[in-house]
Amino acid sequence: MKLQFDDATLAFRDEFLAWLEKNRPAAEEMETDPAVSSAHAPDWARRWARRMFDAGWLVPGWAPELGGRNAGAVETLVYLEALTEAGVPRTTNPQGLGIISPSILDYGRPDQVEEFAMPVLRGELTACLGMSEPDAGSDLANLKTAAVRDGDEWVLNGQKVWTSGAAYADFCFLFCRTDPDARKHRGISIILVPMDTPGLEVKPLKEIVHPDTPDLAEVFLDDVRVPIENLVGEENDGWRMANGSLAHERSMVWLDSVLAIERSMAGLLDHAKAWMPALTPAERALAADDVVRLYIETKALRALGYRGFARFVKGGNAPEQALMKAYSSETSRDLARIASEWNGTDALHTTSGRSNRRRAIGGIEGYFNTFGSTISAGSSEIQRNIIAERVLGLPRE
Amino acid sequence: MDLELSDEQAELRDNFRSVLEDCCSPALVRAAYEESDDGDSLWRQQVELGWPSLAVPETAGGLGYGFVETALLAEELGRAAAPATLLATTSQLTPALVEADDDEALARVATGSLRGTLALSEKGRFDLDSVATTARRQGERWTVTGTKDGVLAGATADLFAVAARDPETGFVGLFAIEQTDAKVERRPGLDPALLLADVVFTSSPARLLIAPDADAEARIARITEPATVALALHMVGACRNIFEQTLAYAKIRKQYDRVIGSFQALKHRFADMYLEVERATALCYFAAVSIAEDDPERGEVAHLAKAAAGDCQRLLAEDGLQLHGGLGFTWEQDLHFWLKRAKAGEVLCGTSAWHRTALARRLGLASEGDA
Repeated sequence: MKLQFDDATLAFRDEFLAWLEKNRPAAEEMETDPAVSSAHAPDWARRWARRMFDAGWLVPGWAPELGGRNAGAVETLVYLEALTEAGVPRTTNPQGLGIISPSILDYGRPDQVEEFAMPVLRGELTACLGMSEPDAGSDLANLKTAAVRDGDEWVLNGQKVWTSGAAYADFCFLFCRTDPDARKHRGISIILVPMDTPGLEVKPLKEIVHPDTPDLAEVFLDDVRVPIENLVGEENDGWRMANGSLAHERSMVWLDSVLAIERSMAGLLDHAKAWMPALTPAERALAADDVVRLYIETKALRALGYRGFARFVKGGNAPEQALMKAYSSETSRDLARIASEWNGTDALHTTSGRSNRRRAIGGIEGYFNTFGSTISAGSSEIQRNIIAERVLGLPRE
Repeated sequence: MDLELSDEQAELRDNFRSVLEDCCSPALVRAAYEESDDGDSLWRQQVELGWPSLAVPETAGGLGYGFVETALLAEELGRAAAPATLLATTSQLTPALVEADDDEALARVATGSLRGTLALSEKGRFDLDSVATTARRQGERWTVTGTKDGVLAGATADLFAVAARDPETGFVGLFAIEQTDAKVERRPGLDPALLLADVVFTSSPARLLIAPDADAEARIARITEPATVALALHMVGACRNIFEQTLAYAKIRKQYDRVIGSFQALKHRFADMYLEVERATALCYFAAVSIAEDDPERGEVAHLAKAAAGDCQRLLAEDGLQLHGGLGFTWEQDLHFWLKRAKAGEVLCGTSAWHRTALARRLGLASEGDA
């Protein structure tokens, strides 16, 4: 156990910080032209992705031809921390960079890598993930969108829902059923579907906050035809790949949540010092304890994340990682709730839907926004089942 | 930050665990409960293993390990619900003697001929502001008068490190007082293996460890911090044992023709218990390494650790007992040793609320004048 990184890691961090200083997007351009969706890449974001790719800073752990520099896990961790501290987003299309490109690199053919994965990495295309359906949320394997072969094409029919970024993405990494007779986990495949394919319609879903800039959407597929070669990996092997693609960067995703919560916590501490003097001593003691409890959670999240990460680096199992999704999303929610409850009538204010303002502390709308994390990518309830069954070995119901 | 044990630390922890499973079985803990056994035979075995010398500097004849290793021992002693003599000697007396550079006493600790503990709290308060015990100086000699309560392993201590106030200056210092110069009133109470005692000093001859001056508060913090973190990890060790016992029970206990661990209502509670234990462990290890490396934030992290251990004991004692059903409610089932150890830890070395209040002050959330 030790508190500090070694000298080599710190030197790596300094090298990145020096590069970042010279090459980062300017705060003004990010503010003037913010990304309004998880698959929206404003011009500055496209240029930024390309610069990082060319310099080997996009995915440091990968080879130079893929936008990396063969860095180790610890180096990747300090790189992610440095980016966050600098207030620079790594990407405005996180599912494209974090899940879809790596999956195509793992399971796709070379021509799919060239046509789909590399352009996403270079900031030329953005992608969305077509998983959930009206009857397939937590029970993803219940999905019904069908792909049927017709000559050298797939014909797709069905409906996706909660598809983040669908209104802005160039293509969809779409999960569909290719064998209706197989047991439900067995008949699933993954097909790459350009979003401008005839028969594909995107209907944005207005959200309870920021209805003007919805990120979620329904995607309707009505006899959508794509070439047979758009199948990723083997036919009917989608479930196995889904577990692989969702596991991508599993060793690191916790860090984004922790860094975001730490930023919110710092904001709350600042904010609290502004509104606390107006309280009575009795109220102030209650408020202080609320804030202290959140402070403890924030520190605990980092300690837990680092502990799991250290095990991961040493090649061991990291059961803490299974805890991080539920714990971090619920802490984020609690922090937003408490910040809003002590914020007086200011808590009722709303902000425009511009993504860079969504993180403002103290609003009830921000609290509602945090439910995106406790519901999506395996709800907190599903995470608890996973912990109980896969980590603790309790039998399935 | 690396909060995973090194291979050597993991090996040491495994060694503590396997030895304690052998020489500190639940039967031995039961003897402390039912036959007023102070664990003297266990102490002798621990001395043979060299455990009291673990944190004693090599210059004083000890093994010279850092605080992480002391904390790991405290965790395993909690896992065993062991009689508390070794916990108090390694995590309370030893840091006091180290801070005071008392090599002579440390050498006696290393050989197992001196057992002892910290006597700080009065009327249940673990802060120096509440110290009413007085230390009076006559020439080069000090005498101490006052009453300390909830003294961990006070029943077996040969030496007390006593916090007392010099009425002349108003500063609190730390003083070494022999058991033979004190009146020790045993308080077996809820968990007899904690060997708790109230200790009364009446003009007791005292040896100066830390002079009552402007630096004393900071120096005493360097003793209370490791004491607090060791106790926190000790509680977490007890909680982890409760967790493992409860999980094992849920995998074999059948109702309605299925093991109860297959019910989702219980699964979610196990996931939450697991989180509490892992969360508290991570913060305690963070605190242990902060103390071992003498990080400037060590004081804050010690508060975090004890507050988290408090959250942990609350959930684990409650759900551990509840999910054992009537079985956990019986004296014959061993579970209550750990339930009681975990709960008792909450009120020693400062409650969770006390540590959270201290954090609020450190974070600038309490205004001047707020109590």
